[in-house]
Amino acid sequence: MTRMKRVTAILTIVGLLAGFVVVPAARCADKIQFGFSVPLTGIFGKAGKLVLDSYKLWAKKMNAEGGILIKGKRYPVELVYYDDKSDPGVSAKLVEKLITDDKVDLLLGGYGSSLVFAASAIAEKYKYPMISGGASSNKLFDRGFRYYFATLGKATEEVRGCVEMLKGLKPKPKTVAIVGSDILFTSLACEGFKKYSKEAGFKVIHFELFPIQLQDYTSMLLKVKKENPDVLLVGSHTLVAIKTVKALKAIDFSPKAVAFSYGPTVPDFVKSVGKLGEYVFAASEWTPVLPYKGPVFGTAAAFDKLYYKTFHRHPDYVEAAVAAAAVTQQLALQQLGLQPPYTEAKREALMKKLHDIDIKTFYGEVRFGKDGANVAHPPIAVQIQHGKVVTVYPKNVRQTAPIYPMPSWGHRK
Amino acid sequence: MLIQAIITGLLLGGIYAVYSAGFSLIFGVMGVVNIAHGDLVMLGAFTSYWLFTLGHIDPFLSIPFSALTLFIVGYGIQRLIINRVVEAPPIMSYICTFGIHLIIANLALRLWTADYRSITTSYCGSHLECAGLVIPYARLATFGMAVVMVGGLYLFLNRTDIGRAIRATAQDREMARLMGVRANHVYAMTFGIGAAITGVAGSLISSYFVIYPQMGLSYTVTAFCVVVLGGMGYIPGALLGGLILGVLESLTATYWNAGMSSALTFFILFLMLIFMPAGITGKGIVE
Repeated sequence: MTRMKRVTAILTIVGLLAGFVVVPAARCADKIQFGFSVPLTGIFGKAGKLVLDSYKLWAKKMNAEGGILIKGKRYPVELVYYDDKSDPGVSAKLVEKLITDDKVDLLLGGYGSSLVFAASAIAEKYKYPMISGGASSNKLFDRGFRYYFATLGKATEEVRGCVEMLKGLKPKPKTVAIVGSDILFTSLACEGFKKYSKEAGFKVIHFELFPIQLQDYTSMLLKVKKENPDVLLVGSHTLVAIKTVKALKAIDFSPKAVAFSYGPTVPDFVKSVGKLGEYVFAASEWTPVLPYKGPVFGTAAAFDKLYYKTFHRHPDYVEAAVAAAAVTQQLALQQLGLQPPYTEAKREALMKKLHDIDIKTFYGEVRFGKDGANVAHPPIAVQIQHGKVVTVYPKNVRQTAPIYPMPSWGHRK
Repeated sequence: MLIQAIITGLLLGGIYAVYSAGFSLIFGVMGVVNIAHGDLVMLGAFTSYWLFTLGHIDPFLSIPFSALTLFIVGYGIQRLIINRVVEAPPIMSYICTFGIHLIIANLALRLWTADYRSITTSYCGSHLECAGLVIPYARLATFGMAVVMVGGLYLFLNRTDIGRAIRATAQDREMARLMGVRANHVYAMTFGIGAAITGVAGSLISSYFVIYPQMGLSYTVTAFCVVVLGGMGYIPGALLGGLILGVLESLTATYWNAGMSSALTFFILFLMLIFMPAGITGKGIVE
């Protein structure tokens, strides 16, 4: 049974894959340290990097002004963060380290529902408010937590705009197929697609979840192709979206519309699939064209401009939601006039304040429900047209009409 | 539907075979389970990606470049690192190759960021359609290459001097050494050749799979399953194992669901390790 031992050994080694990227943190009384764990490598590595950029932008903006103004004194912002390698266990461990070892003042949210799920449990235990802008699985809100908040809507709600947009198309699609990877966020997006499809009167003729590690999508999608649905709805993140589009072309499957829960709004998507990405729809919660406005960043368009100036790319809605999360906590501190150090009593006051907060920001309105989810935020739908992400729903704010049905692969230039 | 599923499975199997052959070769000769194997696939894919992006060289034309690059990388890794632990207990080579995996993957991450990349060629996604069956050209070509490469490798090991030296060293290192074979050089050649064909595999998949620095480990795992199925160290077994696994996965994904296809892979791995450790052909190496 040497081979068995070998297999066990390999599995053990893989399991031991853990380590820390240490960011040196010097303690200083008159600044505020915000700690967070964020995936910089692994499956969420790319998206986690965007979250980090967004926080950096916020910190830079605040520090350019001399810091956060609380009761007449300015406190510079310092970010303390670690790479959780897309592993929930590591994420929880790191947040505990931030609280007990690094003794950061306050926390910021990370990225990815499964990771934030673990991290927020630690935050709740130590009574640190955590507002996430990069996690939206319903499960996060079902735990009766008092210290956890999110600027995004719930995952099942996020896709509502997409389905409502499809409902208004002519000729109205009749049948939909839903596929998605089986991680928390994307499977919930699939549930949301199913729920709203039924409400919209579409017939769901196929529903399938597949493991995120699935290397090859062709067999699965060929099966869906045989059922010939009008619309293909995909519970996805970036990697899944890229692989799906490539596989659709390879097997020559052109439904009248394809919609993703997440992916196409990330700049990598268009860069990576090029023309193959044309006409796909995606759920979104924010685009720079929306008429939102508030303190810190000004309008949605101004945030977009500053972001582009700093990072030479446009922000996606998660980056906006992440910055909005940091802004929300900041405004709550300012409104309360809470100065550091943040004792347990002060953090509790902050938590209570967040439950009552109702503010307008560049990201739109932020108002948390009892479970911590942002209830004031309407989902929207976007489409890739001529290589650009354009807002196509709701009708009153859209940039242009959706293109439907999308041309079949054989009829494209 | 059934025929389509089998064709898709065979084509997928070709892909599996093409990146598993090198894994089998390295194990067969040195008894080293190369955990960094998937990272060699990644390096091959990135070689093609950069040649395509910067030099507009088609992924199929970049095959010689990635073969050469990976041969050098593989030869170097063996000569400088693995040769030092090849005689030590197997756990040493796991730790060693796992370390190499971490180094390559993190170096790639540093250099190329965690971005998902893919090569979109003008013919990307074009396919042969006959009697309602869809056969993507790129995969058909990969399948052809798999057969050629596995066959070529088999002939190379059986018909050439260096091939004979490799096999002799695999059978009895000490005896081969007494016959004038330079064992360290032979090992390095073997790893180099194994890495080179893995690099070719990386180039082949680059036009239809997504490329990113962390992709390696899942390829190592699949290669491991394929090689256990076909027989560890038995080269034609890689082709057979790949095809069987590809067809099984495709059939499961078509008639059951895609989630079960990965579960099935591991279930088969488990059964094979217990009941048929020498693989389906019975020609694998069992200790």
